[in-house]
Amino acid sequence: MTAPLLKRLRDLLGPDALLTAPSDLLVYECDGFTIEKNTPDVVVFPTSTEQVVAVVKACNDFGVPFLPRGAGTSLAGGCLPVGGGVMIALTRMKRILEVNYRERYAVVEPGVVNLWLTNHLKPHGWHYAPDPSSQGACTIGGNVATNSGGPHTLKYGVTVNHVLGVELVLPDGRVVRTGGPAEDNPGYDLTGVIVGSEGTFGIATKTWVRITRNPEAYRTLLGVFETVADATNTISELIGAGIVPAALEMLDSLILQAVEAAFHFGFPLDAGAVLIMEVDGLEAGLGDEAERIIAIAKKNKAREVRRANTDAERLLLWKCRKQAFGAVGRLAPSYCTQDGVVPRTKLPHILNEIQRIGTKYQLRICNVFHAGDGNIHPILLFDERDADQTKRVLAASHEILEECVRVGGSVTGEHGIGVEKIDFMSKLFTPEDLGVMLRLRNAFNPNNRCSPAKMLPTAGACIEASKAGRRAAL
Amino acid sequence: MDANICRIDDFGPLPVVQPASVAELSDIVRGAALQDQAIYPYGGRTMLDHGLPPTRPGIAVDLRGLTQVIEYPARDMTITVQAGITLAKLGELLRPENQRLPIDVPDADRATLGGALATNVSGPRRLGHGTLRDYVIGITVVNDEGHEAKAGGRVVKNVAGYDLCKLYIGALGTLGIISQVTLKLRPLADEQALVILTCEPHAVAALLDALHRSRTRPVCLELLNDAAVAALNVQHPGLLPDAPRVLIVGYEEKRETVAWQVQQLIAELPAGTLKSLESRVGSTADPLWQWLVEFPAWSGALLTFKANLLPGATAEFFAKAADLPEGLALQAHAGSGIVLGHATDALTLERARAMLAVLEPIATAAQGNIVLRRCPTAWKATLPVWGKPREDLWLMRAVRQQLDPKERFNPGRFLV
Ligand SMILES: Cc1cc2nc3c(=O)[nH]c(=O)nc-3n(C[C@H](O)[C@H](O)[C@H](O)COP(=O)(O)OP(=O)(O)OC[C@H]3O[C@@H](n4cnc5c(N)ncnc54)[C@H](O)[C@@H]3O)c2cc1C
Repeated sequence: MTAPLLKRLRDLLGPDALLTAPSDLLVYECDGFTIEKNTPDVVVFPTSTEQVVAVVKACNDFGVPFLPRGAGTSLAGGCLPVGGGVMIALTRMKRILEVNYRERYAVVEPGVVNLWLTNHLKPHGWHYAPDPSSQGACTIGGNVATNSGGPHTLKYGVTVNHVLGVELVLPDGRVVRTGGPAEDNPGYDLTGVIVGSEGTFGIATKTWVRITRNPEAYRTLLGVFETVADATNTISELIGAGIVPAALEMLDSLILQAVEAAFHFGFPLDAGAVLIMEVDGLEAGLGDEAERIIAIAKKNKAREVRRANTDAERLLLWKCRKQAFGAVGRLAPSYCTQDGVVPRTKLPHILNEIQRIGTKYQLRICNVFHAGDGNIHPILLFDERDADQTKRVLAASHEILEECVRVGGSVTGEHGIGVEKIDFMSKLFTPEDLGVMLRLRNAFNPNNRCSPAKMLPTAGACIEASKAGRRAAL
Repeated sequence: MDANICRIDDFGPLPVVQPASVAELSDIVRGAALQDQAIYPYGGRTMLDHGLPPTRPGIAVDLRGLTQVIEYPARDMTITVQAGITLAKLGELLRPENQRLPIDVPDADRATLGGALATNVSGPRRLGHGTLRDYVIGITVVNDEGHEAKAGGRVVKNVAGYDLCKLYIGALGTLGIISQVTLKLRPLADEQALVILTCEPHAVAALLDALHRSRTRPVCLELLNDAAVAALNVQHPGLLPDAPRVLIVGYEEKRETVAWQVQQLIAELPAGTLKSLESRVGSTADPLWQWLVEFPAWSGALLTFKANLLPGATAEFFAKAADLPEGLALQAHAGSGIVLGHATDALTLERARAMLAVLEPIATAAQGNIVLRRCPTAWKATLPVWGKPREDLWLMRAVRQQLDPKERFNPGRFLV
């Protein structure tokens, strides 16, 4: 990286708004996807849209790639600075700018942590519906970029269903505002394609999000099953019966061991799997719906169905679920969280396959996932100091995802393509499909200077790399 | 209209081709590209007068031959169909499985799924169930080069690739011809109810605010003025009480939940503001539901506009529109900030312009806009059919420039 660019950035932002020391940069060499690492040349911390614009223009003037970063919890390597360059960390843009309950929207800066918004709305009886398990850490900017889901997006919809508008700093430094708090603006739904574009269309500096009233009542049930198959059959039958729970999550026996050791909820450690089944809404009729769910679970050989009787119990159950990944550390020194989707009726099949693949590669795999959406999260346990194990983890992940594709699913339900799954794009999509996507990216990011080598397999071909590109940590 | 020729906004005649397969559609697009012809896709022709007149000669492509059901795994609650299927036919397929696509489309016997997507149709139920963008999980278009290009997939949650589904919805066919769609579905509701409230105009704002705070969760919140009620009662005598303003609050859910909400709403409503109150539960609500879905496409209108606003601004806009001398028939999806206004034969171009000059600033002040759904073709040259341009128009143009660089699809007709 050239000294003049660094000087310009320092002049623009001030000395305490950039990191250049190798030891500081190390933190930014990867995100939640740790298999590939590369440090950026500099990390900058703008505090306003104007500063983001200035940084982007400087990068353009010097022909240096740049990429946005939120909390760095991406599990797909979305924040990997391929080719080095300038990393634009948005964590200092963390203001909730406006909340309007009558018009049911809020405007937030990108660095606002997902849960902060919900906590802010809570006293008024409202919340922000998309609730990724990482919601205590991840940012709304990151959620917008990855179109995040969460346990309750089964009923309420994922991020894109809650984003009304975006202020975007385009890769050439122009600022555009799409959509807004009123619905149905004439013209193309640019907001809809900006969500989920994984930072390749520009940097979201402001987001208009829909806010949602809290349900009046919940029924939170824990179905305990002898086998994974009984649990997955229950899921298919619930969906088939036209029941749309607010959340429907599965944990298998291996993950239960870890979660129980961490949180002492009182999970039955001899169970094959448990389902967290929640319905919410108005009190009237909710009891009946819970009874229907219990009946279907029992019919599918649930050993028992427990109810969370108090708010505290319900919250603890959700804490166990949402922090399950964190508890995995008790099982193995390293783990790789996969993200795939299958049609919901194929869940029994894919879980069998995961087990078979685990045996084949001699790996332990545990499962905790958004079952109601068919969105699986097999967690492959290993020790990254053992190169052979790491290789087997990659091969097994690959095989699981291939099977998802084969049964009509997808290789990612919410974590994104990032760098991790870029090779799968040509398995899911034809050259013509990808051609259209590339053309769309060209409308936003013609020089591919913003988040190069992400999402589309052809990306990264024409960037001027200031460093060796992708470096695997194998 | 002759099956072999088609006129759009008096432009034409355009020769019509009707592909029987997606392969044929691709050939047609490639052929048109070779001859540098424009392409005007259409389905049930229910909204063909939406937008500006064509600007280039070309061919019209009738998509009603593409009606195959590719896959309906009912237990996954998804369906993949070709885009020429009518909404009525789709509904018939889904009903035996107790499922539906909860989007209100007028003229469902004729309207095709592709057409509904291209124009992003929605109706009263959008308050509770959202719009088409919330249901399309996969889409295939035939692009400007005649290639099939898809985005999304067949599973309900999927973030692989750019979500082009969103872009094609409401693009009026300008970015490609929608050939196949995968939808996520909902269970049919066990029960429905409409609560009908009548009041004086000055009571509307407070009532809407009260409904916004209600403990109940309506799936629709419709507001009608006297002219709209009169139009209804000509078609269906006695379906609604004559009143200056009618508010209709709809519920769709489990039986017990609907019953509770109807009672709760009645208990919550501020005393003294209502002239009358009545509820219709179950199938007795059907005729009114149906009419609320159809009225946005009312054939009695010479001009129909659609305003989009912050929901809280609906009452004010509605009042201003109702006070205009035109005697507009007004229907608002009041929970979503959408107001539809119909003007009848008495309207002149000059008055139309004056009317929009009054309404547009109110709409834009409420962060929205106003577009013309329908008006005499000759007026389109001078009226702001697509509303007031917004600041992202240039980026929309850049997107079109990339995806349809020769402006092959519906040239001149859309905002972009
Ligand atoms: C324990 C754990 C649990 C998780 N659970 C879930 C879950 O339930 N559901 C789910 O969907 N995901 C989950 N994730 C994945 C991750 O949390 C989400 O993808 C999240 O949205 C990332 O937010 P972030 O702020 O960390 O973004 P980052 O990781 O910093 O960035 C993610 C991507 O977004 C881009 N980006 C960030 N900010 C912006 C911006 N302002 N403008 C444009 N692009 C930007 C980055 O370039 C990158 O490509 C989980 C991750 C962990 C570690």
